[in-house]
Amino acid sequence: MFFKQVVCILLLLGTIPAGAQVAGVAPSIPDTTLAINSPTPLSERVVHYEIDAKYDREKHVLDATETLTYHNLTGQELDTFPFHLYLNAFQPASSWVREAKREETPGGVFAQWDPQNYGAVEIKKFEVVDQGDLASQLEFVHPDDDNQEDKTVVQARLPQPIPPNGYVQFKIRFHDQFPETLARTGWNRDSVLGGQWFPKVGVWWHGAWNCHQFHYDTEFFADFGVYDVKLTLAQNEVVGASGVELDTVNNRDGTKTVTYHGDDIHDFAWTASPHFKDYYDTFQGSLGPVKIRIMLQPSHWSQAERHDRIVKETMERFETWYGPYPYKTLTVVDPEPGSEAGGMEYPTFITGDAAWFWPKGYLETEVVVSHEFGHQYWYGMVATNEFEDAWMDEGINTYTEIKVMDSIFGPRTSVINLPGATLGDSEEQRLSYLGVADLDPITRYGWQYADSASYGGITYGKTGLVLLTLENMLGENTMQRAMQTYFMRYRFTHPTKEDFLKTIEEASGKDLRWYFNQAVDGTQVLDYEVFKVRSYPVDWYEHKLTEKKGQTEYVSNVWIHRKNDFVFPVDLDVKFDNGETIRERWDGKDRWARYTYQKKAQIASVEIDPEHRIEFDRNNFNNSYIVKAVKAPARKLVNYWTFCSQLLAQLLAWWMV
Amino acid sequence: MADKTSLISASTCILSAGKRYILWFYLLNLAFAWLGAAAFSKSAHGILDHSLYADRVLHGLDLGVLEEMIGRPEFGPRRSSEAPALSFAFLFLLASLLFVPGVLLGYSSDHRISREEFFRTCGRNVWRFVRLAVVFALIAGIVTGIGSLMQGAGMNALDTSSQDDRRLALVEWLSLGLMFLFLTVMRIWFDLAETDVVLRERPAVRGSILWAFRAILSNFFPLLAAYLLAAITAAVILLAGIFLWHLVLPPQSVVGAFLVSQVTLVLLLAARFWQRAIAVAFYQRISTERALPLFATVRVPVTQAP
Repeated sequence: MFFKQVVCILLLLGTIPAGAQVAGVAPSIPDTTLAINSPTPLSERVVHYEIDAKYDREKHVLDATETLTYHNLTGQELDTFPFHLYLNAFQPASSWVREAKREETPGGVFAQWDPQNYGAVEIKKFEVVDQGDLASQLEFVHPDDDNQEDKTVVQARLPQPIPPNGYVQFKIRFHDQFPETLARTGWNRDSVLGGQWFPKVGVWWHGAWNCHQFHYDTEFFADFGVYDVKLTLAQNEVVGASGVELDTVNNRDGTKTVTYHGDDIHDFAWTASPHFKDYYDTFQGSLGPVKIRIMLQPSHWSQAERHDRIVKETMERFETWYGPYPYKTLTVVDPEPGSEAGGMEYPTFITGDAAWFWPKGYLETEVVVSHEFGHQYWYGMVATNEFEDAWMDEGINTYTEIKVMDSIFGPRTSVINLPGATLGDSEEQRLSYLGVADLDPITRYGWQYADSASYGGITYGKTGLVLLTLENMLGENTMQRAMQTYFMRYRFTHPTKEDFLKTIEEASGKDLRWYFNQAVDGTQVLDYEVFKVRSYPVDWYEHKLTEKKGQTEYVSNVWIHRKNDFVFPVDLDVKFDNGETIRERWDGKDRWARYTYQKKAQIASVEIDPEHRIEFDRNNFNNSYIVKAVKAPARKLVNYWTFCSQLLAQLLAWWMV
Repeated sequence: MADKTSLISASTCILSAGKRYILWFYLLNLAFAWLGAAAFSKSAHGILDHSLYADRVLHGLDLGVLEEMIGRPEFGPRRSSEAPALSFAFLFLLASLLFVPGVLLGYSSDHRISREEFFRTCGRNVWRFVRLAVVFALIAGIVTGIGSLMQGAGMNALDTSSQDDRRLALVEWLSLGLMFLFLTVMRIWFDLAETDVVLRERPAVRGSILWAFRAILSNFFPLLAAYLLAAITAAVILLAGIFLWHLVLPPQSVVGAFLVSQVTLVLLLAARFWQRAIAVAFYQRISTERALPLFATVRVPVTQAP
């Protein structure tokens, strides 16, 4: 054990070139803790990547050697190993581009193939230690579709299987061609964001390899481990990456080599640009200090404190609500303006979104940074399968993003808070959901959604709203306890849908299958309406009847209607014109219900779900009915419309006549 | 400087004497906008009037609720609200084209012209104004089109080489500012040509365009300064109106919002009429200096005050 540690430290300090094998030393996964605030490893480490890469800024290419040590913890012999080659997605006939093309509106990115969109990772050498170079025997596989042109998954068949608990070492030499940023990886001008840039082994999960092709609407899935990465690039580059920076050495050829180390992470991303301006701060986490580095565009320096504030406030809430952030660093990158690199998560490394002119009341920067930090928990530590269960990272993270944003900026003002106009985070998610409400269930595989709008509206929007509604049903404390239990129990593992749902049921002590079956597994749409309201005098048949408020007795009827197929018990407030309110409870099982009252008052208004517990009712307007029309809201909007029409007419006339 | 002051003061007097034109044009503007908003109004009332949820657009303007309303199937396609609004905006443009000759005559006259004079002048000049508008659109379209292409190319080049989005925005704003200046000069030119067409009754607009071009060249800066002053005043009015509407008035004050927005629009219209008054004042001055025959239409006897 001691010898292993010495070797690891030597490797980390760079005295032994990354990838070099020490004679007589059996391969193993280091148990280093340099990058975490923990004396012991936090995950079951399956992989150790040692990568030595050199980036050419002019050509946007990278040449690297990768030594991957894999620990076979599957309990069975393994003789095939699939690898992701994500950058091969950016080729005209790939599944990713075909799906992008399918989604595209005329004039979009792929209206014509632009050579700058080309990306590739080419394996030059693929040696399995003690088994020889298998580069010529590698074959591309297509587990998700029949696209023979797709080269995003390559499979190696080993002559000798790897026994249970055994180790295997792959020595790979590869060449990357980065595209102009697509799917949050690539170059823009003289900057680069290196995401999904190296051959990455699949995950043995539920008795089989899980290594999906890269799709337009999917993200990633990988095993935890240790990363030791050396990046060689121009000396004037400001570099940031996952993990901790160990050292920087200036080379004689005008380049420098920066060494990074990451513990208990499952991916490694980096960025470089000569323009970044760094802003540093420290967050005092419950396990130790976390060094926050915000890499800003110089023109966005005025936005530095906004980034810093939202990062720290989000971290604080996550630590309090769900559990500790164990890493020693967090790097927040403000990507190149106009690039496709914004709003992305990698372990301990996230990209935000900013513009120099965004006013403080426009909270896009805060939403994005808060969301991407949330992924450190829901993806980074609770490492769900993003290909198959996208809702478990994006959706759960959307829910926690709404919780954080609403708690800081207020529920109706957490995206836009400008004079005369507001928008809340949950409302924004709701809008993305409404147009696609019945298209796909939450649990669909990422690439099987009807389209990108449905993927976004359901995976992010619907999941967020379904969990908010669940919280409204169970109570905030119960939901928080459930989420905390889920995080603490499943951090550094790959939980499934059932793990999550059962944890909520366990924490709440309730059988919630009736809800999950409809909201999570089903495509049922929830839409309740006040169907009709009628009041008439009891003695309506009397001649010369004069109605007097407070004296005439009325029979009042209220009909409520479940318009769609989502069954959900609801409350109903019936207000009378004498100020009295009656609350009813309807189980929603039948298609409609009628309530009848006989009182010396008429119905003034009816409201379904008066406490607004349901966040995903498809039509909130028909959830209530006011008997006497209130015209002021519509008049206000008509005034805006009229003003804009008049202004447009005046401006046209101003310039034309 | 003295010239500029006198141009502004003379135009202010003209504007003050012809306030009724602003009022009539404003009423036309409002009437067309109301007609154009009828479809939107019907849809909005249909969805909001009986719903408690609508309260969120009254007390504050909740963009989520607004977007949700517009997205409802019962609201109808957006086009059904937008098309009438755009059509009536275009109608206002045509109405302006039709009635501006009468305004110019009124502005140049030393007495209140009759309704008959007003409409006769409008009728006599309508085809001339259409031709002027076409020539204006052609020249302005070609130049701003080329300017936009150059701006786009410049922005693309800058975007490729610089990650500084502030610089990009600065270049964009500067180029937009240049285009605004160019269009203002164009407007001065054609305002003078329109004035010349009406007051000298030139059957061929070509002569007025050439005359106006020469006139603007010899008096470029005073005219530009006066026009810019009116344009800046308009911008200040618009910003002040929006500020008052959104920061001072309570969000639920529908009547207050209507009044503030309409006063803003009246004043905005007045700023444009001020520019026309500047053109007329300038025309009168140089006509007097060069003893040009003026007030051709004044030969028509005054029969009745409108």
